[in-house]
Amino acid sequence: MTNQPLLEAKKLSKHYGETVALHSIDVQVREGITGLLGPNGAGKSTAMKLFLGLLTPTSGSAEVLGDKPYENVDVRMRLGYMPEHDCLPGPITASEFLGHMAQMSGIPPAHARTRAADILRHVGLDEERYRHIKEYSTGMKQRVKLAQALVHDPVIVLLDEPTAGLDPGGREEMLQLIRRTGKEFGISIMLSSHLMGDVESTCDRIIVIEGGKIIEQGDVSQFTQETETLYIDVDDRRDEVVAALGRRGIETTIVGLSIVVQKQSEEQLDDVRDAIVEAEARLRRLAPSRGQLTDIFRRAAS
Amino acid sequence: MTTEARGEIFDLGYQHYDGPREGRARVVRSLWVNGFRTALGLGRGAKAKILPLLMFFFVTAPAAIIVLIASIVGPEAEIPSHAEYYQVVSILLLLFSAIIAPELLIPDRRDGVISLYLVRPLTATDYIVSRWSAFFVITLILAYAGQILLLLGFVLAAEAPVDYLRDNWLDVPRFLASGAVVALFVTTIPMAISSFTVRRAYAAAVVIAIFVITAPMAGILTSCEQRNETFVETPGGQRLVVSSNECEPLTGEWAKWFALVDVGRAPQHISDIIFNEENNDDDVSRLVGDLNTAIPVVWYLLLVLGPGAALYLRYRRMTI
Repeated sequence: MTNQPLLEAKKLSKHYGETVALHSIDVQVREGITGLLGPNGAGKSTAMKLFLGLLTPTSGSAEVLGDKPYENVDVRMRLGYMPEHDCLPGPITASEFLGHMAQMSGIPPAHARTRAADILRHVGLDEERYRHIKEYSTGMKQRVKLAQALVHDPVIVLLDEPTAGLDPGGREEMLQLIRRTGKEFGISIMLSSHLMGDVESTCDRIIVIEGGKIIEQGDVSQFTQETETLYIDVDDRRDEVVAALGRRGIETTIVGLSIVVQKQSEEQLDDVRDAIVEAEARLRRLAPSRGQLTDIFRRAAS
Repeated sequence: MTTEARGEIFDLGYQHYDGPREGRARVVRSLWVNGFRTALGLGRGAKAKILPLLMFFFVTAPAAIIVLIASIVGPEAEIPSHAEYYQVVSILLLLFSAIIAPELLIPDRRDGVISLYLVRPLTATDYIVSRWSAFFVITLILAYAGQILLLLGFVLAAEAPVDYLRDNWLDVPRFLASGAVVALFVTTIPMAISSFTVRRAYAAAVVIAIFVITAPMAGILTSCEQRNETFVETPGGQRLVVSSNECEPLTGEWAKWFALVDVGRAPQHISDIIFNEENNDDDVSRLVGDLNTAIPVVWYLLLVLGPGAALYLRYRRMTI
């Protein structure tokens, strides 16, 4: 493992007229899977487009393998990109399309055909590769989108909201494929998402971005531990439960109909149980909930 | 190292690519080939091939017919020249371009494939230059195909082919030049219009409409009050027209300029200049012929460079 960052932003800013999309961010992305987490409009797409060289920074720099893609497009030979929106042609077979896209990354035709066949097998489209893309299901199209980003064997691939628009089954398949790409194929990944769950289940590292600024970054475990919360739903006597928890020194907040407790330790669960018994409340649900994105933002704001 | 005799299938897992990576030049070439093939319907269904084939037929058919007449009737036949040939086919070429040019630009934007292209090792300018030049080469081939056939026919039909070539060699650079003028025109305008819509039918309709509307407009603006025709009476009482080119346009001196409104004829005027022809076949051509030579040239350049610049800027500033 080298120490050269794959992607590096130095005091990177991007303004659109008066609007500030990114405000002087410093980021280093290294090998592995990195999640770029933030709500819509946080600056995730802008950051990706700067690394892809589709945009030029207002100030600072965005480098890929030490090169600026907006000045030298050749570095994109080692870069893959899967956009969020539709980007596939209809009346062409996946095999032909992938071969073309490999050539469009600088791979000679004979090699391009082999790469196309290989990568389609790896994303699980071996059988269907001679069918027209327009006949594919949403999940299959999503695989073709990923395949075209990988067909030229990039060093790092940028995935923009790779699970957007997928049903739960499709989403899990996609996340699994992303994990395989990162772990088995050894291709580094930066994926953007507004869903904590996506990032948590696939990424090694996480960068939280909001309002064009980096709020936090670090290993993913660090985030999920810190933000574990407990949801308590009772059918009645909710106030009594809150009072009983208070007597045990447990702070609560009410979210919707649920009592929410920030989990400090495993022993705390015993106190929660005792409090519910003491309040004689009928328990409907007692469930841990991994940290939500909003929690991170709330903490960052405070 | 394996020396086992029995066959076994291994899943080798993911293999990294360590073959050659050829960079931007290869990428632009691949895109060019893709554009060329797309325009001809290669690698697509049979339906996509019909129009290019029909076009090739229609563009070469007039040449074949002319050659056939020339070979049967002989040198004394009143047959169209290289110059007149473009008058016949430029409309066909325009029709072809109106329908096929959108095919090269619109699906990429409509389906979003452009966002995959623009993150690859090429610039937006590379993209549009590649697309444009692929189509330009096709229209150029179509423009030349008939002319070459025509030339071959004339040479073979001539009593002394070598003498014919010696006397008429100037026709070759002339039709090559005016073919390029026609191809440049019919490539750039439909492509520029295609860059502003995601509906192929709209683009084709707009291109055709521009030419269909401006032709009668020019006709009205240059229409004549009366024709000053000179007749001679034959002994049988029939009147023969000796001269019919005199015409007093209602718009007077302005008519020469209004004749330029017929934009579809713009490359035709340049072709007339190149062939040094006095084109008196129709009022518009005759009126434009009365203008200073520089004027139709400037007009043509405006009609090509204007849309060309629009096309270039549209793609340069494209955000995906």
